[in-house]
Amino acid sequence: MKVKVFAKLKDFFEKEFEVTTPVQTVAELQRHLIGLNPASAGVLDACRFAVNDEFVDPEFELKADEYVTVIPPSSGG
Amino acid sequence: MLLSSRQAAADKYISAEPLDIIGLLREAHHPAAGAVVLFSGEVRNANSGKAVDYLEYEAQISMASKMIREILVEAKEKWKLNIAVAQHRIGKVAVCESAVVVITASAHRSEAYAANRHIIDRIKHEVPIWKCEYFTDGTKEWGGNCNCHTLTGDVNRHVYDFYVDVKDEL
Repeated sequence: MKVKVFAKLKDFFEKEFEVTTPVQTVAELQRHLIGLNPASAGVLDACRFAVNDEFVDPEFELKADEYVTVIPPSSGG
Repeated sequence: MLLSSRQAAADKYISAEPLDIIGLLREAHHPAAGAVVLFSGEVRNANSGKAVDYLEYEAQISMASKMIREILVEAKEKWKLNIAVAQHRIGKVAVCESAVVVITASAHRSEAYAANRHIIDRIKHEVPIWKCEYFTDGTKEWGGNCNCHTLTGDVNRHVYDFYVDVKDEL
């Protein structure tokens, strides 16, 4: 699946990258990403995940070809 | 899909170009509105005791645009507004420039003020837009993150969800 990250997460990951390790849910993806870069845990723990422009729960089941965006806490304005 | 920055420039809610505050205000007059409130969130020259060079805003544009539209629709309904407009800038924004504009118009001023405050709070806390501060000393910092969840225990609940609407109390 394709993962796109924003803001502070770009200090830890490429802006957009492919995850080939099979992960079933959003929570698993989150743990997988923390595993890839443990320093990102503080930020990733506060992030929400979105699929097709909608926020999804940690239990959300991901398809192999899913396009997931990782949304850190907002800081607009 | 994410829009290219060229398309973003034309988006009604997210703009890669400087915000046309006067142009937006010009469109915000309404025959039934006795009050028009305009808020402009601007880049100031210092933060956290450091001199700010400029800010750079990034957005998940398609989500941000949709969420701002929904926030405006809800506010318009709740406060019976005649007009509700909001636009957020992305990209590099200089000191004294506007990063976000919210305009509300209603029959009387209390609704326009309350709705305006509500709309900007929600945009700052909920909409996927992020700012990176670039300081004159060459350092940068992704800043001002919403950390309401440390108080509310839920990433989807914010401090203003607990504000009491004065009008509801009267």
